[in-house]
This record gives sequence, structure tokens and C-alpha cells, in this order.
Amino acid sequence: MLFRYISKRIVELIPILLVISILVFLFVHFIPGNPARLVAGKQATFKEVQLVAEELGLNEPIWKQYVSYMKGLFQGDFGTSLKTGRPVSEVIASRFMPTFWLTISSMAWSLVVGLLIGVVSATNRNKWQDFSGMFGAVSGISMPSFWLGLLLIQLFSVQLGWLPVGGNDSWQSYILPSITLGTTVAAVIARFTRSSLMDTLKDDFVRTGRAKGLSENKVVWGHALRNAMVPIVTMSGLQFGFLLGGSIVVEVVFSWPGLGSLLIDSISFRDYPVIQAELLLFALEFMLINLVVDLLYGVLNPRINLD
Amino acid sequence: MFNRRKVFIFAASLIILLVLFSGCSNSSETKGKDSTQGTATKEGNDLTIAVDANLISMDPHDTNDTLSGSVQRTMFQGLFGFSKGMEVVPVLAKDYKISDNGLVYTFQLKKGITFHDGASFNAKAVKVNIDRLANPDNNLKRHSLFAMVKSTEVVDEYTVKVKLKKPFGAFINNLAHPAGRIISPKALEKYGKEVSRNPVGTGPYKFKEWVPGDHLTVVKYDQYWQDGYPKIDKLTFEPTPENGSRVAKLKTGEADFIFPVPPEQAKQIDGKNGIEVKAEPSIVVRYMAMNSMKEPFNNVKVRKAINYGIDKEAFIKVVKRGFGKPLDSVIAPKTSFYSQQKVYEYNLEKAKQLLKEAGYPDGFKTTLWGGNNSTSMKGMQFIQQQLAKIGVDVEIVPMETGTMSEKIWSTKPKETELEMYYGGWSPSTGDADWGIRPLLGGKEAFPPKSYNTAYYSNDKVTKLINDALLTAKPDEREKLYAEIQKLIWNDAPWAFLTVDYTISGKKNYLEGVYLLPDGSLSTHDAKIVK
Repeated sequence: MLFRYISKRIVELIPILLVISILVFLFVHFIPGNPARLVAGKQATFKEVQLVAEELGLNEPIWKQYVSYMKGLFQGDFGTSLKTGRPVSEVIASRFMPTFWLTISSMAWSLVVGLLIGVVSATNRNKWQDFSGMFGAVSGISMPSFWLGLLLIQLFSVQLGWLPVGGNDSWQSYILPSITLGTTVAAVIARFTRSSLMDTLKDDFVRTGRAKGLSENKVVWGHALRNAMVPIVTMSGLQFGFLLGGSIVVEVVFSWPGLGSLLIDSISFRDYPVIQAELLLFALEFMLINLVVDLLYGVLNPRINLD
Repeated sequence: MFNRRKVFIFAASLIILLVLFSGCSNSSETKGKDSTQGTATKEGNDLTIAVDANLISMDPHDTNDTLSGSVQRTMFQGLFGFSKGMEVVPVLAKDYKISDNGLVYTFQLKKGITFHDGASFNAKAVKVNIDRLANPDNNLKRHSLFAMVKSTEVVDEYTVKVKLKKPFGAFINNLAHPAGRIISPKALEKYGKEVSRNPVGTGPYKFKEWVPGDHLTVVKYDQYWQDGYPKIDKLTFEPTPENGSRVAKLKTGEADFIFPVPPEQAKQIDGKNGIEVKAEPSIVVRYMAMNSMKEPFNNVKVRKAINYGIDKEAFIKVVKRGFGKPLDSVIAPKTSFYSQQKVYEYNLEKAKQLLKEAGYPDGFKTTLWGGNNSTSMKGMQFIQQQLAKIGVDVEIVPMETGTMSEKIWSTKPKETELEMYYGGWSPSTGDADWGIRPLLGGKEAFPPKSYNTAYYSNDKVTKLINDALLTAKPDEREKLYAEIQKLIWNDAPWAFLTVDYTISGKKNYLEGVYLLPDGSLSTHDAKIVK
């Protein structure tokens, strides 16, 4: 039953991905700017640019380019990067893991902290715990991450000398980027938890629970929170997807070799094959995360019918 | 929702706390300033250099960014190279002769030099490399610098002859260009195009590893031919695009050398945390081209008026934070065959008078195109302000690189909408030819073919430029280029702005690492002073 559901959902992804591939291809090719000139270089002559365009197949009509791109894609060939001449699959693979681990380490702490703040705020409505929790959350959402990143570098790397400024060669180098990246996520989750839990705490079953003498902890953590989780899980899934796309700002500030800094590099170089592959990957990631989120709904609330 | 009074008290107390906190951190910073003036210390014999962009390729023949070229310099050498002052000096070549007709170059090579993979450096290795560059079928980005080569001939083990299709006066400069570096013929055979990821040369360091976007590492080559070099065991390059983070790496000692240093922070970090900032004139010229095919710029009086209407000293102070010099020719002083001209002094009266004579007593409206990074924007805004004073109303159109290439280099000269263009140029061969011909060399250089964004075409100048290439005699070339520079200066196709500075920062225990005027890095003499 569950297996059938999952395979059905995965089969449904294929036509969606096809449509996305067309959109992405058109979108990428319609950005003004000629990659041949950028590949040939700043001081190249017209002839050289023409030669490069010919070699890269950029003089073909766009539908022909799309067909040959898709042909390659079905054979698992994502093409070669225009900028470096390396296979795109290799380029993306080398950048995926740093982004993935950074995402995991940011999500891990921000989920815990966000939930805690949210629950404490909701159960202590209008008290000092609520004020400080929400003050922190609003600051976390409003603070530009490049500014927070540079501030953390200034304090922990330059003044105190405890942590490295950049790179991803040790566990210490994960700390500052994941604080920077996770702050917004924690803040968003805290706000969602607070409002969702406050709504649930008004429900009848909570009153029933209290009436039959359950401890307040058990009411909140055991019953109310579980029922309040659906919107929180949805939001966390979205955040997870965004982070997996690589944060351009945080990766640039911490010189992190991930997908975000690769994307910005590729766009400014008009590296079509790399941009296309990255955008397709992001779309796929989101679709898979949505699937997982849907499955979690079923676990949290068995009344939600997966079919 | 919240009680307003409570919220107010809470917010107020938080703000007070924040102010107190920042006060504390300020005072600790001032304390830091006094105590960190001595020499910084360094353990070990490895260096880290933080740079501002990602590396693209390690194949010198297929590279057109200065940064990749700088990293290649640690591993590769050419027959010739540039000294600190941008003069051409022999490196792998010992001596050379040029035939009287300027067509045949004969090179004597140094003996006893080996590549990192054990192959020996000889005439055959040189032939393999020059043939590779000269063959258009190889689609190498630097083919154009060697397109004039007809054939290469091995005379004996250490003598090689290069024949040209027609005389080309700047050929030795082209060989000294980073693209003229010699790759191990064994590696070329083994890796083909993949040599860009597996660099093997004769330089002081050999390749260890490259994790794109993260770092590239080279290590000491024990059989290096110059005794006593290199003095460093391991050299790591780390791309760090964010200015603030790059400076932070230098402060913490995670990097021993960084470039470029953002001009805004240069003065602020100099002399603290054991940091030394160095700023030196480059060969990069900063200019504003005016489309001389279009009204009103087809009138030389208008072009001169614009030149008189811009205060270069103020430009340097405001836009360059003091790091620059007024440009006093088409090329910078450290480019060969430079000849100084008389700067168009800032003179509003004269500018207005010239505009009146040209028939624009009330000025005119125009557009200025340029890059969209903050430095270019600042430059263009400054020009906008200055020209407003003589009645010229400038609209700034910032563009990102790809868009700019589309707008300028995909359009025929007659159809272009370009009126004024804010640009910079670094003649990477260090020779006057590459500083003038692509930019102002007549119709042949108009976009999309080349970089004549002023659409400047003076037949006399174009002829002189071509004449100067047909001879390899320095004194003749000197005379011709002096004449060319004078003529162009008087035609004022550009608003001549500045010669840029290169700015780098290092820890004060480090010596022998410096930027050349072309903006590339030299690490050959690097050493750590204990």
C-alpha cells in the first residue's frame, strides 16, 4: 500500500521534470549574454569568439540544442562545463556534499532550538519568556545573513581566534556557517511553532486532557504539539529544500565550496550546462522533500489519507 | 497582542545592553591596536594565499584570466618572463637572435633543466609547445598570440628556430606573456586537453591537488634548476570572494598574503595585527570611451571639453581612495614604449568654452555604459556629477558582464547604441601594441571584432600602428609609438582617467611575494623571516 503510493508519486515526477527541463532550458538560454564571448575571454578577437561558438554548438537553433541536451541527459550525460571543460556531473557532485553537510548541521540545531523557543513562547504567552523568544525570532528573521556572518567572523575568528574564517576542512569550520544559516530557519520555525501550538491549545481535546488530570507537560508535549506539527513539518521541509539549494550569501562569505557559490559563478559566466543541471537538481530535491513531508503527515495524523 | 508598556520597557533595556556591549568591544579593539605593532610570528614553512575568485584552468595555453595565470607561474616557466618592473627577461632561454628581415628568431636554451615528471627541457619540448599554440585546430584561448608563427624547427638539442609569417615586432613580449609557458611534452601526450587539471612544468613548485572552489596546493620541487629555491615547502591558494572574509583571513593568519585588498579597508588594516599593505602602480588604464561615430562626440571639441571637465585628482581621491595616478598617455608608464603626454587640466571655463564653440552652449544629454560592480558604479556616478557642471546630462546604464557583451559585442558598428563606455584595460603582453591596437586601432578593431569602444579611426594612426609591428628594432618602434601616442592624445577619443594601483596585504614575516604591474602574482622568491 505504502510502497504503491510511493512508486506512484515517483512515476508522477517524470512528466513534471520534463516540463521543468524545457522551462529551465529556455530560461537559461534567454538570459542576455553570449557564453562564447565569456569563454573566449576578455581580450579575444571576433574570429576566436565565432570559433568557440561553433565548437560549443551555440549556433544551432535552440530546439536542436534542447534535443541534443535531452538525448545526453537520458544517457546520464549532463554535458561539459563551458567554464572549466569538466563534466557537469563531476562539477556538481564535488559541490553537493559540502552543501549537504552544511544543510544537515544547520537544520539539526535550528529545529531543536526553534521548536523549544516556539513551545516555551506559546505556553508562556505574554510573559517575559514569550517576549524574549519572539524578540529573538524577529531579529533572526530580519538580520541579513551576510551581516551576521561577517559579525561572527569578526568576533570568533578575528577577536577571539577560536574558529576559522573559511574553508570546510575541519568540524570547527562548520560552526560559524551553520549558525549563520540556521538562525533564520530557527526563527521561522519558532514563530510557526508558537502560533500553531497556541491554536491547538484552544482545542477541545486539550481541555479534555487537562480535565482528566494529565500533567501540563504531557498535555503540551505529548498531545498538543503532535497535533500542531503539520504546518511546522511543511515549513521545515521548505526550509530544508532552500538550504539544499545552497545559500549563495553564506557560501560566499565563508568561502564554502558548495552549490550556491557554484550557481552564482555559473550564472555570471553563462555556463549553461551547469546552471541547467543545478536548477533541475533543485527542482528534484523539492519534489522529493514534498513527498517525504506528505508521508510524514500520515505518520503524524493517521486521519490524513495518502490516496 | 502584547502589552505595549511591557514591550517598550523590554526593547529599551535590550538597546541599552547592546550599546554597553558595543562600547566594551570598542575599547578592547583600541587596546589591540597598541599591542600588535611588532613582527607577527609564523610556525612552519607553508604559505597560504587568499585570492578573490575561483581558478579556472591550469593549462597556460588555454587561460585568459590573470588569476589562473598567477597560480600557473608557481609551476610553469616560459622562455622569457617579466621582471618586477615589467621588463622582459630571459628565463628558460639563454640568448636569442633575430634575422635582419625580422622573420626568423633563433633561441639558445638553458641546459640541465627537467620537468616535474622527469622529462628534460630541450629544443623539442619548445617546438611541441609552440606548435600546439600556433595550430588553430587546437582551439586554445591564447592561439592569437602565436597565430603569426609559420613553423618551428629543432636545430640541435638546445637550439630552436621560430619562423614567422610576417614580421611581428612584439614577438618576444608574446613569448614572455603567461601563455608562452612551456608544458612538459610528456604530460601533453599523456593527458591531452586534460593537462588543464594535471599541470606539469619546470617551475619551483609542483602540482599537488586542486579542489575547485576550495583550494589549490603546490609543493616544493626538489630538482628545481635554480639553487636555493624555492624557500617555501608548500603553497596553498584559497579563493575567498568576499572582501571582508579575505581581510579577516589575513588578520587571523589563516592567510599570509591576500590580494586584492579592497581600497576602503587598505588604510584601516595597515600596520595592525602584523599586516603590511602595499599599493603600487599597475599597467591597468581606466578610461571613458566616447563613440566618435555619433553626435556630439564626432566633434573633437566636445571630446576635449569632456576631458577638461573631469577633475582627475578628485576622481582618484573619491573613487580610488587615493590609490591611483592620473593617466598621462593611452598606456601606463610601465608598458613598453610609453611616452608621457600633457594631462588635460581640470578647467570648467575651458570646457564650457569648447562646448559653446562646438555648438552645444547648453550642453546635451547622453548615456554612459559600464559594469555593475560597486567600484564601476562609483566611478560612473562621479563622472555624472562632474559633467553635470558643464551642462552634460549623463544617464548611467550599469550592466552585468554577460549583458554588456551582448549589447556591445554582438552589434554592428553602425547600429550600436553605445555613446560613452566606462572601461579598463590591462595589456597582458606589457607591450604598447597590445595596449593600443585592440582599443584604438581603427576600423579593424571596432566591436564586435575587437575593443575599440570609441569607434576611433584615424587613418594616419592606424598606419603607424601597423608599421610599428613590422619592425623588431626597439629604437624604430619607440619613435613610432611616441608619434602614435601624441596623435591619439590630441584626438581625445577617451576621457583619460587613471592608472590603477594593485593593492595587496601580507603578514610582515613574509618576504618576496609581490604583485607585478599586470596584476599577476610572483612567489618565486617567497620566504619566511624568522
